Amino acid sequence: MNASSSLRGMLAIALIAVLGIGLLASQQWLTASDVQVPSDREEVVFWHFWGGADRAIVEDVAKRFNESQNEYYVRPIAMPGNNLDLKFFLSVTGGDPPDLLNIDDPVIADWGHRGAILALDEVATPDEVERLQVWLFPAARRLVTYENRLYGVPNGLDIRALYVNKTMLARYGLSSPKTIADLDHIAETIAPPGQSKPYQHHGYLPDSRRIWAWGPVFGGRFYDSSDGQVTLTSPEIESALTWMVSYRDRYGPSEIARFRHGDQSLPGKTFPLFAERYAVVMDGQWRVHDIRAFQKSQAEKREEVTQFDAIPLPVPPGGKPNAGWVNGNNFVIPRGANASRGAWEFIKFWCGFDGQEAAAAKTCVAGGWIPVSQHVVDEPTFQQFLDEEPLFRTFIELAGSENQYPVPVIPGAPYFNNEVKNLAESAMSSPKEPDLPQMLKEAEARIQSQIDRARNEQ
Amino acid sequence: MQHHADSSDIAETASRESRRRWRSWITAAGFASPWLVGLLALFIYPFVVSLYWSFCQYDLINPPRFVGMENYQQLANEIATGTGIAHALWNTGYYALLSVPLSIILGVGLATLLSCDIRGQSIFRTLFYLPSVIPVVAASILWMWLLNPADGLVNSVLGSLGLWQPQWFASPAELVSPDSLTEAAWANNSAPIGSKDALVLMSLWGMGNFMVIYLAAIGDIPKSLYEAARIDGAGPIRRFVNVTLPLLTPIIFFNLVMGLIQSVQAFTQIYIVSEGRGAPADSTLVISLHLFLSAFQHLNMGYASAVAWLLFALLGIATWFLFTTSRRWVYEGVR
Repeated sequence: MNASSSLRGMLAIALIAVLGIGLLASQQWLTASDVQVPSDREEVVFWHFWGGADRAIVEDVAKRFNESQNEYYVRPIAMPGNNLDLKFFLSVTGGDPPDLLNIDDPVIADWGHRGAILALDEVATPDEVERLQVWLFPAARRLVTYENRLYGVPNGLDIRALYVNKTMLARYGLSSPKTIADLDHIAETIAPPGQSKPYQHHGYLPDSRRIWAWGPVFGGRFYDSSDGQVTLTSPEIESALTWMVSYRDRYGPSEIARFRHGDQSLPGKTFPLFAERYAVVMDGQWRVHDIRAFQKSQAEKREEVTQFDAIPLPVPPGGKPNAGWVNGNNFVIPRGANASRGAWEFIKFWCGFDGQEAAAAKTCVAGGWIPVSQHVVDEPTFQQFLDEEPLFRTFIELAGSENQYPVPVIPGAPYFNNEVKNLAESAMSSPKEPDLPQMLKEAEARIQSQIDRARNEQ
Repeated sequence: MQHHADSSDIAETASRESRRRWRSWITAAGFASPWLVGLLALFIYPFVVSLYWSFCQYDLINPPRFVGMENYQQLANEIATGTGIAHALWNTGYYALLSVPLSIILGVGLATLLSCDIRGQSIFRTLFYLPSVIPVVAASILWMWLLNPADGLVNSVLGSLGLWQPQWFASPAELVSPDSLTEAAWANNSAPIGSKDALVLMSLWGMGNFMVIYLAAIGDIPKSLYEAARIDGAGPIRRFVNVTLPLLTPIIFFNLVMGLIQSVQAFTQIYIVSEGRGAPADSTLVISLHLFLSAFQHLNMGYASAVAWLLFALLGIATWFLFTTSRRWVYEGVR
């Protein structure tokens, strides 16, 4: 090797070093925020998953909070997509978590159990926690309570009801169902079983994922928190599943799969109720907005305006009224957060706790979200919204019900959630007559083993 | 004195040579450093650490806790009871054992046809290779549209021909399983073709990669062998069986090994079509998806690491088996 080649080698190493330093330096520039945090405020870094129009609403809430404050400054960071959980774990492991996080999976107990998030009593005063427990709807409280401690606060509730195309039902001389028998009658009248051609319409088809809603309607619970036992084999859950599977028997698993898959190919994933594919569909409160837009469009085109209704899930004999499955997006404060107190102040502002109900009502109206407390519902702003959107009232009444249950808030809940959905999916799509008691028994043992393992970890 | 001067020169030369080698080594290491850092940080370290974690309980949030063989015992228990990993093994095996041989058979057949001297040969070659350059995410979404049981193109064509229409990704049914042999499985116009069969169909879409390799290999076969065979009276089928196929066996073997590894590790397309959870009813829960869900949804990193090592072991055994048996059927020329 001569001097010139040695020099070239050194230059190459120097170039690599310069590139490395340049990349590291550019990180600062690439990740720099355009938000200027006032020097006299403590910054609260808030990770959330909202994109699109909802992101603007979130940023408006943060703006209103920042204007109302002289101590904290919330900086919302949107992370839409599937990997928010993973990014969060890495931030916790790396020792630099956000100060506040919003999640929508049933992971509160898992994360609380593992010490990734703070129980609320580690941030709020005992008096605040006590008052919050009473202030929240029972469904909201259930969503975030693990071993009698609150591990977060929902910012809104997701409630399922039945949407009914009243115009379509009237054409068949039918009205909105009040009982399971009514619902079955609607299904059989609009789509008589045994049709040789592919069905174009159905009165109603149960979705296997909604076993979580129908279980409580039939009076069942999936888990007994008093002894930590999975109760899939309870007669009520078996009845709910048997009723859902009766639709498989009526139309065949192939027809149900075909028809349901067709919903996904509707333009822009249009609500299938608009295309009259169904007369009755179970869905969440966000469809109220879609219905309003659809009716407005019909009126503008001078077409007959279709009439819709939103009703609680109809009940079988011995079932529970106003029952169903509740879900929600929850605020949680990561362990290791630098500004946990500021995060708590922002949670209160968003949800309306501690006399901030008016601000929360404004937020819920903007997003079309269900408040987590009757106190927010009672605000004039929200009452005016309900007058304008009468279908929304059903969801509010259901939100206040004692019979709305989330996926059990226990370690291993995501596994529990998936397995129950898979169980119903297997039963409804089985080419052979499914042995439901056996399937429930096997799933119960499998889930019990997994959640026992999750509970014993750490 | 002269002797002393000579030994001093030799020592000086040796020292210069040593410095030159040392500088040369530093230069080489400098150039190779990005790759070396990548190898150590992104391959060797995770490799070793995942082996350790497979003997731990680890949830990403708290430090790993050594639990001995617990994760492997759980795997053994699941295999014994036909749950969890047993399900994933069946799904993976089903997918690999159908998609790899089919892609080889179709790839060889297609390459043979496309090597014929016909008009527009290069256009056909391009058309068949084109799917391989389409990103897997885009191709997956495209296939979800094509195979939509209600109004997808495939079922529309089958329906217009009066043929029966499978439910594809909407059904957990399997074409090759004991259940599919029952009469009930074929009742109600619901013959047992489902999500895994749709995945196999999807995998054949990307066989252009392998086809190109077969084409190159066929082009490399000496024309004199075909001429000799023709003089001996061999027809096209005989020439294919006795000349083309034996000389393609090293390439078939290569594609068999690579195809097996790729199909067992398939993830992206399966994640997309299965709602990220192996839907419907766990019928597309393959090992890689089971591993992903265990690690990042159920926070069971230790168990997921054990699954990764099981996958590694299975692939190692399968590859060893292929290499061992290849001596019987792979033509390696005259040694």
